Order: sequence, then C-alpha cells, then structure tokens
Amino acid sequence: MQPHIHVAIDPELGNQPTAPTGIAPATAGRPRRRFSRLVPNTVLILSGLFFVAPLLTLARFSLQNVPTILLGWNTLFDKWSLNGLTKAFDDPAFWPALKLSLQLAVGTVVLTLGLLLPTAIWTHLRVPKARSVIEFMTVLPYMIPAIALVAGIKIIQPHARWFLNSDFSLIPFYVILALPFTYRSLDAGLKAIDLRTLVDASRSLGAGWGSTVFRVVIPNLRTAIISASFLTAAVVIGEFTIADTLLKETLPRFQATFVGREPQGGYGLNLLALIVTIGLFVTLSVLTKKRDPKRKSFARQAANAALVEKPGQL
Amino acid sequence: MTDLVINDVVADGGRTAGAPPKARRDLAWLGLLPFLAFLVLFLFIPAISVFRNATNTEAGSFSFSAMREAFTGQNLEAFKFSVKFSAGAAAVGVLFGTLLAYAAATATRPRWLRNLVTAFCGVAANMGGLPLAFAFLSLLGRQGVGTKVLNWAGFDLYGGDFDLGNVTGLIVVYSYFNIPLMLLITLPAIDGLKQSWREACSNLGGTSWTYWRRVGLPVLAPSLLGGFLLLFANSFAAYATARILTDNSKIVPLRIAFFLGGDVSIGEDAVGFSLAAWMIIIMVVCMSLYWVARKRAERWQS
Repeated sequence: MQPHIHVAIDPELGNQPTAPTGIAPATAGRPRRRFSRLVPNTVLILSGLFFVAPLLTLARFSLQNVPTILLGWNTLFDKWSLNGLTKAFDDPAFWPALKLSLQLAVGTVVLTLGLLLPTAIWTHLRVPKARSVIEFMTVLPYMIPAIALVAGIKIIQPHARWFLNSDFSLIPFYVILALPFTYRSLDAGLKAIDLRTLVDASRSLGAGWGSTVFRVVIPNLRTAIISASFLTAAVVIGEFTIADTLLKETLPRFQATFVGREPQGGYGLNLLALIVTIGLFVTLSVLTKKRDPKRKSFARQAANAALVEKPGQL
Repeated sequence: MTDLVINDVVADGGRTAGAPPKARRDLAWLGLLPFLAFLVLFLFIPAISVFRNATNTEAGSFSFSAMREAFTGQNLEAFKFSVKFSAGAAAVGVLFGTLLAYAAATATRPRWLRNLVTAFCGVAANMGGLPLAFAFLSLLGRQGVGTKVLNWAGFDLYGGDFDLGNVTGLIVVYSYFNIPLMLLITLPAIDGLKQSWREACSNLGGTSWTYWRRVGLPVLAPSLLGGFLLLFANSFAAYATARILTDNSKIVPLRIAFFLGGDVSIGEDAVGFSLAAWMIIIMVVCMSLYWVARKRAERWQS
C-alpha cells in the first residue's frame, strides 16, 4: 500500500503542474464547476449523517431515561443524567471482567513486543532475504478469521486443558489476531531508520548487543512501538468471538450479557467502550505527532498502513 | 590510519550483514525459530486441526462427506444468506466508499475536511463489534430513534420485512465499517488519477464521460475489485455484530459457533469444522485475489 501523502490544494495556486486530484483547478472558473460539486457535497453531508446518527442515538439511549415511545418535542430535554454510564460499575461481575480484559491487554502487548521486536530487528539485520516470507506469514491471520481459529482451539482443547483452562491462554491467540498490523507497524518503523548504520556505529563504539538494542534501536522505534501497543490494546479490549466461544468472562462478554439485565446501563457501557476505543486512537495520533515533522509523517504512514490492512471486525 | 581502521570496521560490518559466509547465514535463519514456533503452535496447528477434523470420519479414516454436508439443508441456507448479504454489503461499501473518497479528495474547502474524513475512517473501519450493533439498535431498532423519526415523516420502516438481522439490515450496519475501509483503500488510487490525463482526454475531444469510461474507471478498476473482495471477506467473517443483531444461527460464523457451543464430542461436529474449513478456503481465495488486485492497483500510484 502506497502511503498517501496529504496535499493541501490551495485554490489560489490554481495552476500546479500536476494536481493530485481529479478535478481541474483550471476549470475552476467555469459555471459547470458549481454543479459538479453538487453530487460530492451531497455524498459528504449524507455520509456525515449516516456516521454520526448511530453514535448520537447510542448516547441518547445511555444518557436519557425516556423511552423512545414517549420521546417528543416536549420531552426532548427531560431526564438526562450520567447514571446510565455508571450503572455497570455497581454490577458485581463488572470489575472482574474489566480486570481480566486489562490483564489480557497488557499481557498481549508484552508478548507481542517480546516476540516481534527481536524477530523484526533480526530479520532486517541478518536475514533480509526472509523479509517477504515473514511479512507473508504475518498476514496469514487475515485468512484464518477468529471464528475459524477458535474452532481449531476447540479441537486442541481436550489435549491441552492444563493450558487452555486458564483465562490467560487467550494471550497468544490475541497476539496472532493483532499480528498483521503490529508487525507492519514495527516493520515500517525499521524501514524508516538506517538500522544497519545505527547498529554498526553503536557496536564500533564499544556497545554490546544489549545496550545497542535498548539504548539505540528501541528509542528510534518509539513511535512504531507505541502504535503497535495501542493497536494491540484496542483489539484485545474489543475482542468478542474467541472469548465468547471459549466462555472466558472478558469485558466484551459482560457488555453483551449486561444489556439483557439492565438495558440502559448496558448501552451506557457500550458507549463507554466506544469512547475508550476512540480515545485510544486519538491518543495514539497525538503521541505520534509530537516529534519532529519527519518522524510525524512516518508515524502517520505506519498507522495508516496498519489500519488500512486490518479488516474491521474481529 | 584511524580512518582506515574505521573504514575497515564499517566495511566489515556491511559485509557480514549483507553477505555473510554461508555457515553464518544458515545460522542466522535460526534466529527466526521462536517466531516460527509460535506461529506453528498458535496458528498453524489450530488451522490444520480444523481441516483434519473436517475430513475425518468417526472411525478416523479420510472422508469428504462432512465437507459435502456443509452444503446441504440449513448449512446451505446459511451459506446462501452469508454470501447474499456479504456481496450486498461489499457492493454498497465499494460504491459509497469510492464516492466518499472522491468527494473528500476533490473537496478544496474547508481545508481540514480531508484530514478529518481520513482520520475518522481510520477509526470507523476498526469499529465493528458490540458497540456498533447496539448503536444501530438504538437508531434503527424497533424502538430506535431513527425508526421513530422515519415514522413521523410518514415512512414505516418495519412495515415490510425489514429487520436489522436481515439482509438489508446487516448491509446497513456493516456499511458503517465497510465504507470507511473502502475509502482508505481507494483514496491513494483516486489521488493517483493525474490531472494531465484529464487534460489529454479533453484535448483529444473527449467529454467527461469519455474520460471516466476510457481512463478513470480502467485505472481505478483493480482498486475497486480488490476493495470488493476485501469487503466481502470482511463481512463474511464478521461475528460479533451479527451475534447481537440476529438471534439464530442463520449466517456461517454463527452456525460454526452453534456447532462449537455443544461440548465437542464425536459425531455431528465434523460438519461444524467443515463449515470452518470452507470459511478458511473462501478467505484464502478472496485475500489472494485481493493481493493480486492490489499489486495491479499500485502500478499507477507513484
């Protein structure tokens, strides 16, 4: 995937030699132009409605305690409160589920980095020929969706109960689910730095392998590591398929069952989950934006490459 | 003298890294072993087990009967339903994703519009799962606000056989992540359409229609086709959203879960695994074709 470069098109600089878009700046003055924007603008406005409406109604259901039947102009501003958001906190099953999901998220991030960082660095340094093979293997999880993977896990279960009975046995499978974009993120980070020169410089100045990796390579990969960690955490916190089939009481499973017991609180919890996930992505883009401009564009590219490759659902 | 030594070190470093002696190169492959072992344990063994169990009889001999049974009765219905709504969702996603990408790419103002759209799509393309299902229930469910607004405007959404768990309903819900995903795929391709091509076309006497018919669409075609395959695979394999919206196992992922739900014992469950095996086969075909299409699409994006 070619990382797309954001080119701001300035209407006053009408005659750029090669404008990157389909509309001609040269035709800007013609009367046809005004109508040619009609369709794109309609598309933009309708899309805006389509994408915002479900979020707004989810928020209303969570925050306003008025049944839809009674909703009208005169009840529109009645009974708004934040109670719906916090109802889940009073449920005894909530805290263990949250704790498990957070533990799984941390465990998956640690295992992902512990496994993928050495592999990616080693591949770039010592076996560059294997790069395309490794890259191919890291996209294999796309072809084996979570529901098929969990079918396989069910088959091994009788042979590995000592392992699969533990809730933490989900961690390696979550590493697999997140693999396509965690590896891409690290790989893009390594491509953007001159790894060999850095390592040679560090080694020839007398540093051992340990301090080369921890004090030279990893600081240079900071943004890639942050992206990989956040994306992994987002996957783990939202993963439902495997946890549901293996009956592990993670947060998403609680989200699904709590709605039945307490509709408003359930919707509120889902709203919270959505806000946390979006918050993760926003924090990610802020964290990776702060560095110098050169690194910023790289971080965006890495994040974009990682996102675009990931089918939306797990 | 010092220079020479440093040069030597660097040159040596470059050599050992680029073209090490054969023995060391063979050893270097060993460094990938932990990663490969991890993949074998947690990806390959489960995936191969699925195929093994799908093609084994109770007695343990090889048989395709379960793989064939996946296309009979209720299983066939599930496949038909899944293919129908996934293809529909992919088509809708391709159409509106491309339109939206074109609208965002060509909008000159406000200037932040394009960045906002791409940033939002980056999030929305990943948004599936439970919260999305509940968001749409609150909008278009029987008690949804959108349903009420439509009713008020004179349109009874539930007058026909509409349901969020039916083909139309799932297409609408899945569009929420399919359209943004399509935008992220096609935006680079749309940026790759060069202004000079359009000018060349009109200099040769072509109209806007000629331009799209002879230049624009052929250049975009691999991206559109690749996008269709990716969105199809994406919709076909999705589980969480459908789990909330449909209460019975009428789509393939839910049907697999239904078979897995019973404590795995000998007998019927081979059919469940054959459904999973077919799903992997369909995904492999879609994703491979997607890669081919993507390679073609990248040709014009420089």
